[in-house]
Amino acid sequence: MMRMTLAEMVARLRPDQTRPPASQPTSTGTVGPLRSGVSGRLAGLLRRGVRRASTVTLMLYALALGAGIGLATADYATRGGYPFGGVPVGAWTAWPKIGSVGADPYARAVNARRGEIPLAIGEGMLLTAEQDESGQALDAACTYQVAGVTPPARAWTVTVAGRGPRDSEAAPMREGFTSTEILRETDGHFAITLSPEVQPGNWLPMPRAKGPVRLALRLYDTPVAASAGNLDRSAVPAVTRTGCAP
Amino acid sequence: MTPRGRFLVATLSGLVIAGLVHVATVLLIPRLAEGDALSRARSGEGLDHPMPVNTVATGDAPPPVEAWLPIPDPAVAVGLCAFDLTEGPMRVSARTGPLMLSLAVHGPRGAFYAVTDQAAVRGALDLVVLTRAQYDEALANADEDEVSHDVRIVATDAKGFVVVRIIAALPSQRATADAAVQAVSCTVDSPADEKPGG
Repeated sequence: MMRMTLAEMVARLRPDQTRPPASQPTSTGTVGPLRSGVSGRLAGLLRRGVRRASTVTLMLYALALGAGIGLATADYATRGGYPFGGVPVGAWTAWPKIGSVGADPYARAVNARRGEIPLAIGEGMLLTAEQDESGQALDAACTYQVAGVTPPARAWTVTVAGRGPRDSEAAPMREGFTSTEILRETDGHFAITLSPEVQPGNWLPMPRAKGPVRLALRLYDTPVAASAGNLDRSAVPAVTRTGCAP
Repeated sequence: MTPRGRFLVATLSGLVIAGLVHVATVLLIPRLAEGDALSRARSGEGLDHPMPVNTVATGDAPPPVEAWLPIPDPAVAVGLCAFDLTEGPMRVSARTGPLMLSLAVHGPRGAFYAVTDQAAVRGALDLVVLTRAQYDEALANADEDEVSHDVRIVATDAKGFVVVRIIAALPSQRATADAAVQAVSCTVDSPADEKPGG
């Protein structure tokens, strides 16, 4: 419907556009030399033909531009992660609404494209981390400490994955920890060492040799999904870089 | 208008069209997608038990149906029950066990209901997904003396799926978690053979 009104608008503008250039013959380069050889009437007809063609060309150009940019930006916005709806909590980003009926259209499109089954409110909540506390992207060549406490939940899991398509190699020996199997300090805190090298304690091996990685903290049966905006930085584990392979 | 002005108008109209195309595309993706969970769940329609989506048991030969979840939780077994309420209400029955279980009901627009095994009555969780008309009918036919333990949920759309998630807190529980997903039953409730009280 919008395109039709646009076409009508252009068509209505056209007579006004064709007239003024007729009085200034040098305005266009291609028609000018032609006119010197043939009669003015023929040149006028020709020019009108060129004008008409150029209007159509311009409309096609506008449509092609719209389709191209529109599809490209839509693809970009729905490729990979969710563009909106995240609640930053320290190094983590909480995604409380991606699975609910109130999810934004982009989150729904991302879920549909990836075949993802997001956690519903009341079932759990997903938090992701792509950067450490200082804002540097998580790198597979570095060692990180994921330490602290988690928001209240009946169970949680921390998993690590490489960003982008999965390597087709054999499954890694460990992809994550659950709240039950993790080793804790006497005060209930825990510390996971995410490292490419073998570490004592809760060692989470890097899923790949190099490149960016992503942490996911999934809280199951948690009351915080309904109030993710109130989550404090101290309620989620801190992600700190302790060293990097040269 | 000069040729340059016309070109400018065309470019601006192109950008406006780009905005419309962008919005329309984003809104249409969930409806047209073929790899989304709802479309994939269709293939498991008619099964009495959830279609395994993510099995966690580390065996030698993992089932081929899985691995379409982009980044699955390696400790959570996931199963899907697709429903089409035009055939009748969908009954999902789960027995609670030692492992944490959660059921979420998803429609085309997202999840509209979720419940965990903490809501179970005497170890059983009975979820009935129905349309508004079927709900009214069930209310009208309900026997006053019988106590129903069914959790009745009115669905926003006729089609959707129920997600069963079971968390294997320890690697040794993973086989149990896979089995527990299969132990959930998803059946179409036909009014004729409905037991009073469920």
